Amino acid sequence: MSDSTTHVAIGGDITIGCTVNGEAVAVQVPVRTSLSDMLRAALGLTGTHLGCEHGVCGACTIIVDGAAVRSCLMLAAQAEGSDIRTIEGLAVDGRWHPVQTAMHDHHGFQCAFCAPGFMMTAVAMLEDDPNRSEQEIREELGGNLCRCTGYESIVDGVLAAVATLRGAS
Amino acid sequence: MKAPPFAYARPTTLDGALELLSTHADSKVLAGGQSLLPVMNLRLGAPSLLVDISRIPMLDRIVVDDDGAVTIGALVTHTAVEGSADIARHAPLVAEAAPYIGHRAIRNRGTCVGSIAHADPAAEMPAVCLATDAIMISTSTHGDRVIPASAFFTGFLDTALRDDELLAAVRFPASPPGATGSVVEVSRRHGDYALAGLVCRLVVERGTITDAALAYFGVGPTAERVPEAEALLVGSDGRGPALDRAVEAVEATLDPPSDVHGTTAYRRHLAGVLCRRGVADAIARSTEEVA
Amino acid sequence: MTSPETHHTGTFDTATQGSGLGAFTGTSVKRVEDHRLLVGDGRYVADVVPPGCLHAAFVRSPFPHARLTGIDTSEATRLPGVVSVITGSDIEELTNPFLPFLALPGLYTPLYHSLSSERVRFVGDPVALVVASSRAVAEDAAELVDVTYEVLDGIGTIDRALDPESEPIWPRAKNNLLYDRTTDHGDVEGVFADADHVFTETFRCPRQSNQPMETRGILVEVDSVTGAVSVRAATQAPHMLRWQIAAYARKESGPQSIRSFLTNPERRGAFLAAAKAFVGDKGEALQSSDSTAMQHQLKTEPRTALQMVRTGAQLLGRDDYPHVDADDIGGGFGAKGSVAREEIAVAAAALAIGRSIQWIEDRMENLMDGGQAREEELTLSIACDADGTVRGLDVDLVLDQGAYPGNPVGAPITVRIMEVMQPGAYRFEAFRQRSRIVATNKGKYVAYRGPWANETWARERMINVVARRLGLSQTEIRRKNMYGDEDWPAAMLTGPALDVTCSVRKTLERAEELADLDRLDALRADAVSRGKRLGIGFASYHEAAPGPPDYFEHVNPGTSALLDQPATASVSVDGTIQIWTSQMPHGQSHETTYAQLAADQLGVAIEDIELVYGDTSRAPFDLLGTGGSRGGPVGGGAVRKVGRHLRSVVVAKAADMLEASVDDVTIERGNIHVAGVPARGLTYAEVAARVVADGETVDGRDGTYAFSVDDTYTSAGDGGWSVATHVCWVEVDVETGIVEIPRYLVVEDCGPIINPAIVDGQVRGGVAQGIGAVLYERAAYDEQANPQASTYMDYLIPTATEIPRIEVDHMETLSPGENDHRGVGEGGMIGAPAAITNAIEDAIGVTVNDQHLPPYRILELMGIIRPD
Repeated sequence: MSDSTTHVAIGGDITIGCTVNGEAVAVQVPVRTSLSDMLRAALGLTGTHLGCEHGVCGACTIIVDGAAVRSCLMLAAQAEGSDIRTIEGLAVDGRWHPVQTAMHDHHGFQCAFCAPGFMMTAVAMLEDDPNRSEQEIREELGGNLCRCTGYESIVDGVLAAVATLRGAS
Repeated sequence: MKAPPFAYARPTTLDGALELLSTHADSKVLAGGQSLLPVMNLRLGAPSLLVDISRIPMLDRIVVDDDGAVTIGALVTHTAVEGSADIARHAPLVAEAAPYIGHRAIRNRGTCVGSIAHADPAAEMPAVCLATDAIMISTSTHGDRVIPASAFFTGFLDTALRDDELLAAVRFPASPPGATGSVVEVSRRHGDYALAGLVCRLVVERGTITDAALAYFGVGPTAERVPEAEALLVGSDGRGPALDRAVEAVEATLDPPSDVHGTTAYRRHLAGVLCRRGVADAIARSTEEVA
Repeated sequence: MTSPETHHTGTFDTATQGSGLGAFTGTSVKRVEDHRLLVGDGRYVADVVPPGCLHAAFVRSPFPHARLTGIDTSEATRLPGVVSVITGSDIEELTNPFLPFLALPGLYTPLYHSLSSERVRFVGDPVALVVASSRAVAEDAAELVDVTYEVLDGIGTIDRALDPESEPIWPRAKNNLLYDRTTDHGDVEGVFADADHVFTETFRCPRQSNQPMETRGILVEVDSVTGAVSVRAATQAPHMLRWQIAAYARKESGPQSIRSFLTNPERRGAFLAAAKAFVGDKGEALQSSDSTAMQHQLKTEPRTALQMVRTGAQLLGRDDYPHVDADDIGGGFGAKGSVAREEIAVAAAALAIGRSIQWIEDRMENLMDGGQAREEELTLSIACDADGTVRGLDVDLVLDQGAYPGNPVGAPITVRIMEVMQPGAYRFEAFRQRSRIVATNKGKYVAYRGPWANETWARERMINVVARRLGLSQTEIRRKNMYGDEDWPAAMLTGPALDVTCSVRKTLERAEELADLDRLDALRADAVSRGKRLGIGFASYHEAAPGPPDYFEHVNPGTSALLDQPATASVSVDGTIQIWTSQMPHGQSHETTYAQLAADQLGVAIEDIELVYGDTSRAPFDLLGTGGSRGGPVGGGAVRKVGRHLRSVVVAKAADMLEASVDDVTIERGNIHVAGVPARGLTYAEVAARVVADGETVDGRDGTYAFSVDDTYTSAGDGGWSVATHVCWVEVDVETGIVEIPRYLVVEDCGPIINPAIVDGQVRGGVAQGIGAVLYERAAYDEQANPQASTYMDYLIPTATEIPRIEVDHMETLSPGENDHRGVGEGGMIGAPAAITNAIEDAIGVTVNDQHLPPYRILELMGIIRPD
């Protein structure tokens, strides 16, 4: 085996080093652990929710290296060295992110199980490009399922966040 | 819904990866993982070793040759494809197909080459490859192979790749003058796999179609071309009776599957509708460009 | 002259919080819940994993119907990390079978356990439970459990279930027809003979699934020292779960339970006292229930009697009921009102091995066994006169309950509500309904948001069929036949009283105003020019949310007392205020709306109110928890009532302190003072301190309080109907069959609104589920009952790109009673399927008999493709 390969045995653990919400962490998990399970079980960041575990519902969406990803469709092992942001890291010093404020203002969510995934999707989208039309917002949110709201309040929340961010820039 | 146990390796060189693939039966390449990991979470697949190729240099590149051919490396994500000005200019059908794939979070991790290697019959990229006569560049400890798209998709979720091979890149040849095309599909929801889809590529010279490719997806065990219909379009203006005959040929040739989302009759009908829409779109673009 | 209702649109001012006291009710106060839920601080059942907790996975049948001939757990047991593998025969030793909750005359209800041991009845039927160090290892081991089956014929359709020769899923029932009853109201034969026309159509609704974004889940903690059991669960009804775990998850022998009953006089006395208090003056009503129902049950399932005595004695004799707690719940839509077999199995396993166990259902399990609904076939005949006067209604309903009965709410109660509500707000002279329940090899039928909604769907479809045949417009036929203000007092043919709150016709008239019907032809022409067909569909309904005082007695005599809603209001010794409810919020924003109601009663701010719920050691007792659109009217009614009561006792004490008359004391911004003299006011803390100093504290629900008062809001007090008219516009692409919804309008009347933004959210969410049902979602099975939609790749929940903006217009008819808020949680889902399918029929010009209309079906109906 060449030195260039990290090789792990079946049933063994793997140590992951990465940054989570600005803090460097090193955590040991079984090799097969998904990134979502690593966040929830090993790091106690239970704000990232599991709705389907096969990549359709979007509840587990987080931001990895600036991009929205499904944390159920990423192994913890794949996150080695990456910069991870979850819902717990969205507010800074207790000050809500404009997306959180906008969701509150617009009664965005009901049961809110889907909320972290929606908000992380929205944050990544607006960081990528804050000028978004309603149709673009709907398409970008199309990978997140909400069973409670019919989406209108969530879309209105993101539209309001767009306005806030525009005003700020 | 947790994946069964597996071993994991993250080689940092291509040779390291190929060695692992050649020495471990039942190993799988892990790039974006957006097709593989759901299969494993659902316990529909249990590879013994995942070879994570994400740390291998050079595989994330998009290269444009002097002649305009575009080569996309194994780690290029769908999002990167969507955002590439080079691809938009030189391989417009690839660029046009990318936004249809899943949703943003899937496209951020999923790779163009991975989608081709996975060969889902309802996925867009295999059909794009067929329509554009793309070339697959595979590699293994035994050396490189180039496989034309026409010989690559061998069956349902099956390709000409050997177990020890890595699909390193896909190469889309330069478009000839007069080339035009379109990607059209119908899906239940935005972002779903297509009920039926068509990648249409035409070469139009002074209003006459001189070459045609109709590559369908979602209507059979693999993406597939319909040579019978293509032949009927060549030499015509792609309108009126010629198009009608092509549509008939599409409907007569394809034998789509039936499932909860669409019956055989429905998908066959859609294939005809898409032929009409796809050819019309492609021709309209060609006229726009001339104008 | 002002009209009793007001109009305003669905928009709201988001800056109303803190705008003043006494004025929260009726404004869009921002959600209290958001402060934890928007920052990832919610606590859902999967979020709590105590140290050393084990994890469970189920071994489930891959066959729809089979005899289980062998089960070998040895290999699974040997897998490192596996603690225990419990099979169906183990469960029979450990637990009691589930008992019928609601008996209907002639209904067969099986006795069954939480794991199956001899026969499996649907794909997903649990046959063993693996307990291991992690969920992943438990799943590994579950794959190693070797089960042998002898496959039987699977029953996948209503037609196959009605075949008397079909393989009986419950052999004691002899065949798969579990219930068959016909009821007549009025002279059915006479009216049908006399009418000018009789029109008949059959309407089919396939299986749907509730699909909350959070699956089911339970954590059963066993204290290793005391053995005390505490449970956390995603449940809509914590007290129900507590009682069922106590009743079923541990089996005492007959003599054992009798002994503990006899030797525990304290417990016995306490139980009987509580039962007496609960029954109170309802005793007579409770006794009026139909005894022939139980006689039939005992005839077909004789073990029921023995098991009832045994389980009852066990319940009476025990004083170690588990403590159940629920915090945040990720939606339910009825599915979490059921107590799951899995929950009992996990509790039994935890009790048996003395360790804490968590089970979090995965999505595949949820799609197979998390709750399915709505699969019904209804044949409707309407007798009418040539002028469009509808006179008689004859309905033949068959409901497919799947294999196992919903527990406790399932097919039987749904059938009864459908029977009562079927005539709708139309002035029929006669009504007959035959109702049948069949068993098939599918997942269980549970309540799903407006469980009876197919009575509305089929009726509103049939009204349109009649209109088309007679050349009347959709609105004309409705206006002509609906009850209106000139009719009160009135009653439905099926019994329930109708009053001014049954304002269905007003919502229809308002909807007509808002629908710009004069533009319709232009819209149609525009659609045609784009290769599309535009259609419009109206649908109207009234629902019992909560219904008139006599409502539930017409549904199921003797049980309306179960619907009473208790509440407590208290002031702590430090002056903080608590409202205690038996409601179990799971997305409805109770913490916000109840705070609005209570804050207005008590003259304090929203944030001064703490809502206590979910914890069975603290929350008031109520078996049903949250469901049935009862949170606003009944739960909210209880909060208003108990809040007013608390205010009166606080004011009495403050009046003493202020040496004033109670009539002169007012409360503003938490300042309790003589009106006009705010400067000399008292805070709640000061009044509470005086109560303490005076030695007047009282025992509250969980300790000592300055004030604590209890009240019960009875359904027999106030009430009324919640109503709406939905209007849907569709555009059908005639080439692809794809349906788009360019406009959707709801005109609803749920009385005065507590929080407009929350009401709008409820309405829109319900409509979205209705859109899902018609265009996307189907819990599909094949003829042999093999599931065809067991992942989210196949069960399609609509997304932000499929659900349009939904206009909501409110009318707020006041009721004669003191509490006007009426329920709104279910209505969106009740009205939407009818409005959408009516619009599609209008667009394509072909009678629509299916509720589920994927694009291929649209083209089949239009004759563009042939059905497979």
